[in-house]
Amino acid sequence: MTGKERILAKLRGEPTDSLPLMPITMMFACDLIGAQYRDYARDHRVLVEAQLAVAERFDFDHVSAISDPTREASDLGGAVEWFDNQPPAIVESRALLGEKAKLANLRLPDPAAPGRMRDRVEAVRMLAAASGTTRIVEGWLEGPCGMSANLRGLNTLMLDFFDDPPFVEALFAFTVRMEIEFARAQVAAGATLIGIGDPAASLVGPKLYAQFVLPAEQELIAAIRALGVPVQLHICGNTKRIVEGMGRTGADIIDLDSPTPLGHARRAMPASQVLLGNIDPVRALRDGTPASIEAALAECFAQAGPAYICGAGCEMPRGTPHANVDAMTRFARSRS
Amino acid sequence: MADTDELQEAVIKGDAKAAAAATQAALAAGVTPLSIVTEHLVPAMDEVGRRFECQDYFVPEMLLSARAMKASMEIVRPLLAASGAEPIGRVVIGTVQGDLHDIGKNLVASMLEGGGFEVIDLGVNVEPRRFIEAASSRNAGLVALSALLTVTMPAMKTTIDAFAAAGLREKVKIMVGGAPVTEQYANTIGADGYSESAAGAVALARRLAAA
Repeated sequence: MTGKERILAKLRGEPTDSLPLMPITMMFACDLIGAQYRDYARDHRVLVEAQLAVAERFDFDHVSAISDPTREASDLGGAVEWFDNQPPAIVESRALLGEKAKLANLRLPDPAAPGRMRDRVEAVRMLAAASGTTRIVEGWLEGPCGMSANLRGLNTLMLDFFDDPPFVEALFAFTVRMEIEFARAQVAAGATLIGIGDPAASLVGPKLYAQFVLPAEQELIAAIRALGVPVQLHICGNTKRIVEGMGRTGADIIDLDSPTPLGHARRAMPASQVLLGNIDPVRALRDGTPASIEAALAECFAQAGPAYICGAGCEMPRGTPHANVDAMTRFARSRS
Repeated sequence: MADTDELQEAVIKGDAKAAAAATQAALAAGVTPLSIVTEHLVPAMDEVGRRFECQDYFVPEMLLSARAMKASMEIVRPLLAASGAEPIGRVVIGTVQGDLHDIGKNLVASMLEGGGFEVIDLGVNVEPRRFIEAASSRNAGLVALSALLTVTMPAMKTTIDAFAAAGLREKVKIMVGGAPVTEQYANTIGADGYSESAAGAVALARRLAAA
């Protein structure tokens, strides 16, 4: 099977020749080709070269356009700090929506216009042309909670949930509309799966998640699936108390970070729900040994059951020994 | 006493207006500023931390309680200064150079302030020299370093090394934390302590301050 066939078969609940393997690589991939991360995040040609190289070297089943969470905010005019060799970051003290009234006049960015969203669309287009017949080409976008935090400021958004619920609902609605259009552009460019990162969602409890985040994620995911591609939902951090809700988002792949045991998620979701993850990226993957990595992944697989895709809890850290990544690949290829 | 019980309740519930009103009422009733902190704000934030630890509270609720605690502290702080009361310790806190994430650092700062410490918060992307300048000028015995990214963790070591190079390493206790940070890493870089949670950071700071 090709990587693409393997992942799609897993999503259909059909047998596969080995476990699909979809770890998130960003800085690790960039380092592999000796590039600076500033260039990886700014220039889709660098990202594409690195993603193709990492997928080829370690036999991954997908390539991904994920790079950093600031592309949409950048195109909206948000303040972003750039670094030479790490991902750019939102400057929360100069949040675009520091004044709530600005939301009413905020216009949706055009993913086809010059900017960082278009750069990602172009990355997807090149990845699809180079690797789309054999590997899943993963487009990427921000989830409603994370994107809203990028625009409003994470600390402020957390208080807005209590101070001004109608504003939060309006902000989430804006982000969902924007991300649907971003997904549409990436699918049109050749994405065969869309990943959603919604890290801020792990900071809220089950009540706020159910009230605000879940409905927005459901709307976004349903709209993307209507475009004809499966959806992966990744929420960094401890999601134990919201994982049951994550299982109701409609995402084809629930991608969990290491604080949430896959067995915990499995008990909250049907056996058919595909889970991805989730060894600790730092403690298990980067700092472990090939033997300890195999044991940790075996535990993940045992807890998740057959509907499982192999990966780490979050981004594979810079400096992860290649022998450790090889161990992850060996594990995936030796199980089915 | 009834007013100060209301103060604890207001902080735990995250009601800043009620916390400020209860603080004013307690002061009017003759409760000392120091008592307001030690007997009411500290237990209230301890309870908030406990609820966070057992996942009854989450980040929004913690920030709400922190805001209520600060509403009370705004009233009490000048009175404490005027009375010459000393905090149980002074902590310089910040997210290390290259890292702009601050939600965890903010939670720890609030918990430390609610725990009776004077907190000097330097914000995010803080260069080592700023930690050193603040610790020196404010005579702080504790320095707390935060990082969310694996790629910025080395800035913790750079900062600790900078204290040593400045000849100040023995004058401060340095604690570290953040999602990717481990006890092992803390030991490797020569930190004095590590905590994986905000409530744990307060307990650690108390131990280090008493050492």
